[in-house]
Amino acid sequence: MESPVLPLAAYQLVAAMLFTVGIVGVLVRRSALIIFMSIALMLNAVNLSFVAFSKAHGQMDGQIFVFFVMSVAAAEVAVGLAILVAIFRNRETASVDEVHLLKG
Amino acid sequence: MIEAILFSVFSLGAVGFALNVVFRRNPVHCALHLVGVLLSLSGLFVLLNAQFIAAIQILVYAGAIMVLFLFVVMLLNVRGETPLLTPGAAKGFGFLFALLGFVELLWIVLGSGGGEGGASKPVVVLPPGFGSPVEIGKMLYSTWLFPFEVTSILLLIAVIGAVVLAKRKFV
Repeated sequence: MESPVLPLAAYQLVAAMLFTVGIVGVLVRRSALIIFMSIALMLNAVNLSFVAFSKAHGQMDGQIFVFFVMSVAAAEVAVGLAILVAIFRNRETASVDEVHLLKG
Repeated sequence: MIEAILFSVFSLGAVGFALNVVFRRNPVHCALHLVGVLLSLSGLFVLLNAQFIAAIQILVYAGAIMVLFLFVVMLLNVRGETPLLTPGAAKGFGFLFALLGFVELLWIVLGSGGGEGGASKPVVVLPPGFGSPVEIGKMLYSTWLFPFEVTSILLLIAVIGAVVLAKRKFV
């Protein structure tokens, strides 16, 4: 096989950037939909990190883990969006600032 | 050389699309830019000898999950929020914490990049068929059989939960 032209750190750097953008989205935006998209962004950053390590170590367990992360993400999105639809039906809003029932 | 060019194109694309996801006003535009992120990441997966994962990324993420997102965006008919970001101090703290997290990640990546997986380590020879569906299937149905079955139960629970939550009389 060919030798890796790019170091592992290059891929990790891209993953770190994507993860940070996801954090900004979760902390700063107020629409619940965009927050879900940002969570998907963070999960994908971690997936990239897994695959990069998998190649660097020559073992495929990282790719298997990505498979499981994807299925958990699919379940999370399905349930989360169902909750969002239920909230929107009752309160006509998708903004997390206006849904503060648990704050008391 | 070609690998470096493809890497720059895909990684710049991923980060650029990601910024658009977070800072666009219209939720439909956000969803479409998220598709761009997922496709760029799939390209990076191919560069990393993970062909099967790249295909799954396009099919499951860019296909199924994004359709779900777009469906909910259309269903709720959420217009762009009039104030885009959370007000005042909360926004400042958000950016501050994100910056702190990025510095920490940078510290970890650059600190370990030279030692553990970097240039000092001998080049790992990949076994034949690395990342192919055959090899992944073998591992999935032998070593990882139990987690695989648990995942199927998790998906079943998610389906039931989504149906119950979206029913009209609930809540």
